[in-house]
Amino acid sequence: MKPLMLQGHERAITQIKYNREGDLLFSAAKDSKPNVWWSLNGERLGTFNGHGGVVWCLDVDWQTINLITGGGDSSCRLWDLETGKNIATIKTNSSVRTCNFSFSAYQAAYTTDKAMGHPCEVFIIDTRTIDDSISTQSPILKWEITDSKVTSMVWGTLDETIITGHETGDLIQWDLRTGKKVHSIKEHTHQINDMQLSRDGTMFITASKDQTAKLFDTSSLELLKEYKTERPVNSAALSPILDHVVLGGGQDAMEVTTTSTRQGKFDARFFHLVFEEEFGRVKGHFGPINSLAFHPDGKSYASGGEDGYVRVQSFDQSYFDYTFDYNRD
Amino acid sequence: MAKKKGDEKVNQTPQSDNEEQNFDEEPDFDDPEGFVDDIPDEELLADILEQKPKESDGYENVIVVDGCPQVGPERLEKLQSVINKIFSKFGKIVNEYYPTTENGVTTGYIFLEYNNPQNAAEAVKATNNCKLDKQHTFLVNLFTDFKKYSEIPKEWEPPSPQPFKVQSDLQWYLMDPDCYDQFLVGIGTGVALQVWQNALPEPVLLQERPNWTETYAVWSPLGTYLATFHWRGVALWAGPKFSQFQKFSHPEARFISFSPCENYIVTFSPSSDRGNDDKKLIIWDIRTGQEKRSFPPPDEYVTWPIFRWSKDDRFFARLGPDMLSVYETPGFGLLDKKSIKIPGIRDFSWSPTDNVLAYWVAEDKDVPARVTLLELPNRTETRSKNLFSVADCKIHWQKSGDYLCVKVDRYSKVKKDKNEIKYSGMYYNFEIFHMREKEIPVDSVEIKEPIQAFAWEPVGSKFSIIHGDPANICISFYQVNTGQAPTLLKKFERKPFNHLFWSPMGQFMVLANLGLTGGALEFLDTNDFTIMNVSHHYQMSGIEWDPTGRYVVTGVSSLKCKMDCGYYIWSFQGKILRRVMKEGFAQFHWRPRPPTLLSEKQQKEIKKNLKKYYSQFESKDRMRSSKASKELVAKRTEQMKKHVEYREAKTQEWNEQKPRRLELRNYVDTDGLDTDQSNTVEEVVEFFVKEEQTVIE
Repeated sequence: MKPLMLQGHERAITQIKYNREGDLLFSAAKDSKPNVWWSLNGERLGTFNGHGGVVWCLDVDWQTINLITGGGDSSCRLWDLETGKNIATIKTNSSVRTCNFSFSAYQAAYTTDKAMGHPCEVFIIDTRTIDDSISTQSPILKWEITDSKVTSMVWGTLDETIITGHETGDLIQWDLRTGKKVHSIKEHTHQINDMQLSRDGTMFITASKDQTAKLFDTSSLELLKEYKTERPVNSAALSPILDHVVLGGGQDAMEVTTTSTRQGKFDARFFHLVFEEEFGRVKGHFGPINSLAFHPDGKSYASGGEDGYVRVQSFDQSYFDYTFDYNRD
Repeated sequence: MAKKKGDEKVNQTPQSDNEEQNFDEEPDFDDPEGFVDDIPDEELLADILEQKPKESDGYENVIVVDGCPQVGPERLEKLQSVINKIFSKFGKIVNEYYPTTENGVTTGYIFLEYNNPQNAAEAVKATNNCKLDKQHTFLVNLFTDFKKYSEIPKEWEPPSPQPFKVQSDLQWYLMDPDCYDQFLVGIGTGVALQVWQNALPEPVLLQERPNWTETYAVWSPLGTYLATFHWRGVALWAGPKFSQFQKFSHPEARFISFSPCENYIVTFSPSSDRGNDDKKLIIWDIRTGQEKRSFPPPDEYVTWPIFRWSKDDRFFARLGPDMLSVYETPGFGLLDKKSIKIPGIRDFSWSPTDNVLAYWVAEDKDVPARVTLLELPNRTETRSKNLFSVADCKIHWQKSGDYLCVKVDRYSKVKKDKNEIKYSGMYYNFEIFHMREKEIPVDSVEIKEPIQAFAWEPVGSKFSIIHGDPANICISFYQVNTGQAPTLLKKFERKPFNHLFWSPMGQFMVLANLGLTGGALEFLDTNDFTIMNVSHHYQMSGIEWDPTGRYVVTGVSSLKCKMDCGYYIWSFQGKILRRVMKEGFAQFHWRPRPPTLLSEKQQKEIKKNLKKYYSQFESKDRMRSSKASKELVAKRTEQMKKHVEYREAKTQEWNEQKPRRLELRNYVDTDGLDTDQSNTVEEVVEFFVKEEQTVIE
């Protein structure tokens, strides 16, 4: 089926996310205005104006009431989705690299870059009532990360832990009651660009610059599966309905201008979750894919690229009919 | 002194008897009367005696120079100065002796003594059999040799037989029941070497060794040996275990070439900082490992191989200034003891099937350039052709030796600047020699455009040329006929290719665009010129057909390109069979095969009955692939079983956590996409679909 091309950003897409129901699609880019779109037809519903630079990350709560964004203008912002108003702004010392609401959305976490003499820090804030006071409130919890920068982050199940992915390839699980490390593993050799939970939150997939994506158990951080490519992987997502994984990436943005699109390998690549075998590719972007998301119904997915476009692709019937041979008894 | 010490010791016993009485008195050191010293020196001082100078000491420093001119006393001084000049090159001469007859004339042999045996040995090595002048040849020996030679026992004792060493089967790779071919994969510069068997359904790794070579590796021309390079020399590996077969000690040898029948190997060490031995170029016997002959390095830069071999290993030839030196095996001397004088010779090439070579001679003032066919060893010129306005020539033999093509670069204008010669208005001739016809007729094809590549069909009578400007590259195919000029069979225009590769069996070819900006591929059947497949392998740096013409490999070498190194294996029709991405992938070589033992008739027979064999192979292939797919299915089943177990445990855990989840989300069930029915509010959203303006009449 013909994909929807969402053209609303002037620069490279940094992160895209669906809300829980999947009717809305949020996109952040290196321009300063995150967008929200109707996922059904790709019409733009609105923009969130306020950031003064790159927006690195965004997240929407489970009820689609608030949006949290973080950016290179050293701020983390909270927005009212009904009106699109910026209801709270938290000034930080450096760029905000990741931000996420917890399962309950009573709390949110964000991390900042190690820059301008400031260390990389993790903040947990109370988001039960969101108003201007958040800007001045001190966080529930914050801690410094001295050894390596956090480049991606997800909440564990039941608001008890968060898992951070680092530029060194380390994965660390933190207990929020104590603020201490529970597990720390190093399964990747390079930066972890993205982490996404499975639908039930029991597993998550990492996307790394070391050209692989890996599947982990959320509570034990046990390595379950590995998906190999020949290019840095920028994003990976798990299908909510099938044992499928989609990977996106491509040659480094820095080197892209020197190569043809065919050679840069900017396809979205589909792997079987269990067999780790690739079974399909979707072309379209003419730069690396920076972010991927499955629609919550599993019948379409969206990709945002360095080329500034978001593409929403619905699956054909053949995608659902395709099966791998194995004994099913 | 030593003697005295011995005496003291002997005296000790009688001395101790009188010790108490004669304490203050000086002991008597004299031997008692009648004492006989019966202990020999050897017993007492064996260690010291060993160092005692012997009469024969220094013998090894002495050399005997025979074959000197016999001169009277009046010219002795002159002779001495000549001898001194020659022999003092090897070290200081400390002593010399010119024996004379009664009337004062020297005897013709002299003795020279050097400082040390090394100098003496060197002098012998360098001057023995050297000519002083027309009548005198030095015969130089070490003085000690005389003893050696005079002591040769009269009775000849047969040498004891060597125990028989079982050689591993060198031809094992040809005995594979399925005729799978082998190939070599090199990783990095000497990081690792792998030898694979191109089995179905997937290749099998036979051997992998890290640091097997220090640079790269090559197969011998028939595939028997694998040659690796090391700082001490070159090693050959063979047999099913790839055990070391032979090694040739030649420090820093960087280039090698095999003779076509694998009897000899030439090694060349271009670096010059290796002491005084000037053996830069050595020819070895492969089976015995013996050095057959060495040559001083070439004076200037020359193209490798320096020695080119005739097809049967009988001759090898080397280009010299205005001459061609042809050597003969197994004697390794010059054929007929002299080089062939050919003024202006520029290049030569042996026929791949006969002891005939083709060479060409450049233009010189009014003498035209010339291509000549020379038969050896009788040196008959079987054919010669004069050519005019020649800038350069390239000699291309067809693999079956039926034809020879000389590509002639011709000019219409020439301009001579000081040292440079500038040609302009270039056009190109292809002179085709029909080797198998009487008197070797020559045909000519002229092309006005620049030529990119030329190649003969290895079997058959076609040749192909890539020509044209970069904007419009054409590929032309010609058929060589008897009694008439070659005919153009087909011309493809506007193709992006710069290389062409014929299948070793003929008929099929791969057209390719190699290089960093390239990657295009076309698989062609030249019987009817159908393009069987069009594909690509980006930035590929090399292509190689397997020796049977069944497979083609394209590769991106890490020596040329840092990204996406690896190789693809294709069928001859252009179907991709396998993609192997390997970091550091540097080289790929199919293991060659010797020529087939089947006669042409037998081969035709096989081709005729191909259908019969076809079904057999087909069923065999099917069985193999079904076995492989069974294995894959089994593997997947196992993986799925494990995964399902894991998921069941996780799902149970997840279900147990449900109360906590509900608590966190205000008792709204969000576990499924549609589980939260109570909160669902139907909302109607209007979208703008399109605007249309219709004029209503």
